[in-house]
Amino acid sequence: MFGFLVPVIIGLPLFGFLFTALVGRRLGKQAYIVPVGAVGIAWLIGMWVVFNALTGAEPFGEGGFATRLYSWIPAGAFHVDVGFLVDNLTACLLIVVLTIGFLVHVYSIGYMDHDPGYWRFFAYLNLFMVSMLLLVLADSFLVVFVAWELVGLSSYLLIGFWKHKPSAALAAKKAFIVNRVGDVGFALGIMAIFVDTGTLNIQESMTRLTAEGAALPIPVWVVALLVFAGAMGKSAQFPLHVWLPDAMEGPTPVSALIHAATMVNAGVYLVARTNPIFAAGGDAMVVVAAIGIFTAILAASIAMTQTDIKRVLAYSTLSQLGYMFASLGVGAFTAAIFHLMTHGFFKGLLFLGSGSVIHAVHEEQDMRRMGGLASKIPHTYRTMLIGSIAIAGIPPLAGFFSKDEILGEAFKNGFQWVWLIGIVVAVMTAFYMFRLIGLTFWGESRVDPAVEPHIHESPSVMTTPLWLLAIPSIVLGLVLSWPGPPLGTGTGLLAGWLAPVFEHGHELLGRAETPFQLFGIDGGLLLVSIVVAVLGMVTAWRLFGASLGGLRWRPDPERVRSLTARVPFLYRASLNKWWFDDLNHLIFIVVGGRVGAFAWWFDRRVVDDTVNDIAATTVDAGKNLRRVQTGRVQNYALGIALGLIVMAGSFLVLAAR
Amino acid sequence: MLPGILTVTTFTPLVGALIVAAAPTRYARSLALAASLATWVISLLLVIGFDPHAPAARPFQLVEAINWIPVFGIQYKVGVDGLSLVLVVLTTTLTWISILASFSPIKERIKEYMVSFLVLEVGMIGVFVALDTFLFYIFWEIVLVPMYLIIGIWGGANRIYATIKFVLYTLVGSLLMLVAILTTAFAYQSANAGSWQGAFDFEKLHGFGFDPTLQLFAFLAFFLAFAIKVPMFPFHTWLPDAHVQAPTAGSVILAAILLKLGAYGLIRFAVPLFPGAAHTFAPAIIVLSLIAIIYGAIVALVQPDLKKLVAYSSVSHMGFVTLGIFVFNVQGLDGAILQMVNHGLITGALFLLVGVIYERTHDRTIARMGGLAGSLPVWAVALGFFCFASGGLPGLSGFVGEFLVLVGAFQFSPWVAAIATVCMILAAAYLLWMYQRIIFGELSGFLQGLGHHLVDMTPTEVLTLAPLAALTVVFGLFPGLVLDLVGGSVANVLGDAARQAAIVVPPAAAALAIALPIVYVVGRLAWVAWIDLSGRGPGSAETPAPTEAAS
Repeated sequence: MFGFLVPVIIGLPLFGFLFTALVGRRLGKQAYIVPVGAVGIAWLIGMWVVFNALTGAEPFGEGGFATRLYSWIPAGAFHVDVGFLVDNLTACLLIVVLTIGFLVHVYSIGYMDHDPGYWRFFAYLNLFMVSMLLLVLADSFLVVFVAWELVGLSSYLLIGFWKHKPSAALAAKKAFIVNRVGDVGFALGIMAIFVDTGTLNIQESMTRLTAEGAALPIPVWVVALLVFAGAMGKSAQFPLHVWLPDAMEGPTPVSALIHAATMVNAGVYLVARTNPIFAAGGDAMVVVAAIGIFTAILAASIAMTQTDIKRVLAYSTLSQLGYMFASLGVGAFTAAIFHLMTHGFFKGLLFLGSGSVIHAVHEEQDMRRMGGLASKIPHTYRTMLIGSIAIAGIPPLAGFFSKDEILGEAFKNGFQWVWLIGIVVAVMTAFYMFRLIGLTFWGESRVDPAVEPHIHESPSVMTTPLWLLAIPSIVLGLVLSWPGPPLGTGTGLLAGWLAPVFEHGHELLGRAETPFQLFGIDGGLLLVSIVVAVLGMVTAWRLFGASLGGLRWRPDPERVRSLTARVPFLYRASLNKWWFDDLNHLIFIVVGGRVGAFAWWFDRRVVDDTVNDIAATTVDAGKNLRRVQTGRVQNYALGIALGLIVMAGSFLVLAAR
Repeated sequence: MLPGILTVTTFTPLVGALIVAAAPTRYARSLALAASLATWVISLLLVIGFDPHAPAARPFQLVEAINWIPVFGIQYKVGVDGLSLVLVVLTTTLTWISILASFSPIKERIKEYMVSFLVLEVGMIGVFVALDTFLFYIFWEIVLVPMYLIIGIWGGANRIYATIKFVLYTLVGSLLMLVAILTTAFAYQSANAGSWQGAFDFEKLHGFGFDPTLQLFAFLAFFLAFAIKVPMFPFHTWLPDAHVQAPTAGSVILAAILLKLGAYGLIRFAVPLFPGAAHTFAPAIIVLSLIAIIYGAIVALVQPDLKKLVAYSSVSHMGFVTLGIFVFNVQGLDGAILQMVNHGLITGALFLLVGVIYERTHDRTIARMGGLAGSLPVWAVALGFFCFASGGLPGLSGFVGEFLVLVGAFQFSPWVAAIATVCMILAAAYLLWMYQRIIFGELSGFLQGLGHHLVDMTPTEVLTLAPLAALTVVFGLFPGLVLDLVGGSVANVLGDAARQAAIVVPPAAAALAIALPIVYVVGRLAWVAWIDLSGRGPGSAETPAPTEAAS
């Protein structure tokens, strides 16, 4: 049965995409029915599959259920099948992708209501669902790569959805090309895996790559880093992070679904999926941890000063993804997936909420022209507040548990420097989130007076998904990490689910599960996490105001100004995103343009002119030799005479020898 | 299978050409289309009649052999293996599409045009089925004549320059090849006690171990002919000129089929006849392929003219083909053949799409376009589809060929693969940048001035593109359709290649062969740079800028 159901999960949105692409234009405002319905049914089937997988029912068991669709590339020894694998890791990803995907589809019915490209939007969304589902279900590296590029395509189409906007076109192109940089690494990694193991099936090749004493043509740490390069591109890790903030040019539901909750997690998923390669790759793990935690602090520092509400959330996403990679790098694979799941929900919520805000204030994204919106759009306000508390790491909401687990694992696994930077990032996270809430919802209204009277809460088709996302943002952390019965047996629910997936990796790293010590090291770290989160939150309140229940603090712009004046360099660096865009402009547009111009000049002046010169020389030779043909008998006679003399002379010389 | 079906396939277009020539001009279009469609249908019968799992001892099927010039053992001998078959079908498919695409753009001398096209098809099919080296040469040269006329008569403003350059350049290589063909025949004849029997027969020649020195020189002669046709860096500069000047359908056939003749020649003749020399020169050819891949992409990036951009992208893509051939493994050669097919489909479609916009605007300058998504939505979608296909988007056919070549190259050397893979970024860059400039944004002022001329694709234009799009998807999802057919050919070519190790060249000669071109390029570069920078020269020796009006 599952051999049929699993392909159907992909088939439904595929049908929705083809149907809407072909006839959607004629359906007008009804265009959403088929695509949303397809994803809805896919959600139902998916949850049935997930339930069976996580409970270990037949035929899933411990190792998951694999099914083969057809033989894709038969090229000698290079043989690639299209097949699917559903194990517990895939199941966790399916929960995130299908649930948030479905809610975003529903939300979009309202959000895109006035857009002339209504049908196109839903077609693209379904195409994205196809690609993303293929990505998490595929059991071959090359098929994962296919999905990898297809999510890139959907992302390109959706970022550039508003075609008339030049900035959208630029951002779409930038996203695709930067992703391709990472993909080059991934592609080379796949080739290396084939050369090393002779197969591209994920499970088989990992077994062979990590087998002891295997003398591989390409060392396993090289493979790990190449795969990680792909992950860096898709998950926007430094230095390939530049595309994600610009991707906010797309419609907000897209930002929520693709650029916060699902696609950007693909890199985390890939590294988690290939955890034995990294575990066997030695220092490759340290690289992952370092790049992750560096991205986390870099992005958080930028998020603190941005004024565009979506950009703050975009940099926040970068920062949280950095956490996940740091977690993978220190060997805390479960914690990374934990954070992936909780972050998916609360960041999806925050983005959809920001979309609702933007909708309310008539497509305004600048938080300097918001303020005091709490009472006007209460549902949006309350759900976004929940999301903010969750991401800031205040217990008992979801983000606290996952973030604390990452930081705790980092500390206990001997990566104190990761922990320390992570703690700083945690302060910054709480700070910029409550800065966002303060600027948007609290204090005096700075909204354009012309827009002010028209501010309205979004329709229920948009607020319902917000509340539905708010629920997991509150409880998911507690549920998934609950150590005792009835959910877990000492290790937490999620840890139990993922144990078979990460068993091999943990074995290679020599890690053993240690029981949770509330009154030992774990409790201490936990306390630190709470303290820093509150610290960041309260700082934001002091500076940007707060009105929460009985708490009423006025914003203090004077102090903000004096604080920024004290660290002018840091402030400008943060405001200008550490000048990465300018650096890229210099390297790729200015220098790259010069290289291109030179190459073309070289092509004309050196390569082509050589060809033309040869032709010209031939013509010239003909022209000059033509003068010999004067038509005067005397000249010819002279030639004959000279020729005779030369011939006779040479004959004499030769004969004399 | 019907006897003589290969001959029928090859010469049906010729019959068609004669009928078109005899019939009144108003029927020229439909008769030509009918003839090309008939050829296409017959070629599909070939696929049905072909047995991909025939024993390796008899690689060629449907063979027909008749003595032609018995004194020299020259025969009319044709036959197909999987490789030829795939390319024959590609040819017949693209030919009817090209003829259909010429219906509205070609308004003058329509009868002559259609006759040229059908004769061209005879030559192209002939090249792919000939099993006699002399016959191969005849077909090879036949191809030149109609193409010379197509560019020279129905081309753009600077068509004479372009077509003469195209023909002379190709002739330089092919005449040397003729010498090499004769040399191999003489060598075979003298080794067989003076009997000319089989001296031009490919099936006899490819098992024959030629003398090392002869191999080196004959290989170079063959290689030059084929490398110019492919075209490999640095023999590629005729291509942008020819493409820019050729009418749309001419560009389509040029890119889709004529370039494949060169690659086919390398696989069919250059490698199996001279395996030792092929191994000797492989490193150099791989380097040239890498240069073509990267350099073609970089030059494509800065092209102001749509057709030139696609032309340089062809140089880059064909670099993958030559790379795949000369790494000598299954994946590389499989990938090279797939890449040939895919490049034919995708680049053919891109030239058709450029033709569509040129029909409406009489311009191909990227800078003047903009915002076409609103006015020509179907065209915009089609262009996007084929741009992504050309950029190697997985799921579409371009990806599989390219990736197999890369896998093959990786086995040869990871560094070679690493350099070639960078093309993934560059291809995305030049295609998407082009797409962004002509599709996104507001409609440009130049296009606004065209008013009602700016209409979306006509049903005929859609009909020309639909089969290419369908095949691009089908071969992307089921590359096995091609790979299964060519499996035997690949095994045979690699078997021939493995017969001999590289012929050792004196180190001094090798050093000289490497040093001389470098010295020349550096010297020329310095000289030209001095002229251009000091403002002595004309600044650009480029032929008159391609801003011609419609022909």
